[in-house]
Amino acid sequence: MVKKKNAKNKINKFVSRKLKITDAEIRRLVIERLKTLPSGKQISIGDKGSFTKNELINRVELGDDIGKKMIEVELEFLRALKKGKLFDEQENSRN
Amino acid sequence: MSKRILVTRPNYDLATIYLFHWSSPVIKLGRQKAFQVTDLSGSKANEADFTSRVVKTNPSFIFFNGHGSKTAITGQDKEVLVSIRRNLDLLKDRIVFARSCNAAERLGPKSISSGARAFIGYKEPFIFMFDPQMATRPLSDKTAALFLQPSNRVATTLLKGHPSLEANSRAKKAFRKNIRKLLTSETSKEDSSVLRFLFWDMKHQVCLGDPDSTL
Repeated sequence: MVKKKNAKNKINKFVSRKLKITDAEIRRLVIERLKTLPSGKQISIGDKGSFTKNELINRVELGDDIGKKMIEVELEFLRALKKGKLFDEQENSRN
Repeated sequence: MSKRILVTRPNYDLATIYLFHWSSPVIKLGRQKAFQVTDLSGSKANEADFTSRVVKTNPSFIFFNGHGSKTAITGQDKEVLVSIRRNLDLLKDRIVFARSCNAAERLGPKSISSGARAFIGYKEPFIFMFDPQMATRPLSDKTAALFLQPSNRVATTLLKGHPSLEANSRAKKAFRKNIRKLLTSETSKEDSSVLRFLFWDMKHQVCLGDPDSTL
């Protein structure tokens, strides 16, 4: 019984280690998703400037402030999508 | 409080040029609703003019367009108009809508503690997608409209006499409507790529201060 439990714990640990996504994998995911942006359009990010799809991809690869912000934007969106919270905002919410 | 509003709208780079043009429908509506509009556009969006016109006209509503940070909102060529250390008293007793990056993070709460009635703005960068081929006609840019129309809703709702919280909510609802529209199966993959940015702006738009304040 104890042996069986230990084996199960080992499997769980292995699976959770495998499911943990690395920063490099997140960057890869964001880059792949940014590739769906239209080539002819630009993204204005305040006083940081306006960026084409390829420029944003480069920034994510570089890991600078713009790249990090793009990762944040993407992850927030994906998390909301996963939780079904895209439309979940309270109509009378202050935030 | 006076039936007066003040709009700042610099126009020195692509982002501010878009905001400049997209403020026009708000100014037009303000005039239709019999508000006296002080329009600090282009080079007039400087600290000296801003300060003197606020004091002189005593507007009940200030609509900022332009670049910003957590602590400041700027005018033409990034000249600081208001910051947590400068001109904050000018926002006292007024409703403020800052279409500027990050200003709702620190400047917003600080303005409320200094006496502003309400502050609506963005806690993160205000991001929008646009078509550079339409840069000479920003109001005809359908991609930019997905962002700037909902954002305009804050100001137009206030001008129609609704409270600040309602203005914030209606703008978020307009963002949500665009998101829903783009989620339909007929939308191309490229068009739906705009969703992440719409969600971002919607999520980070906040209303601080008195939720019941009206013009």
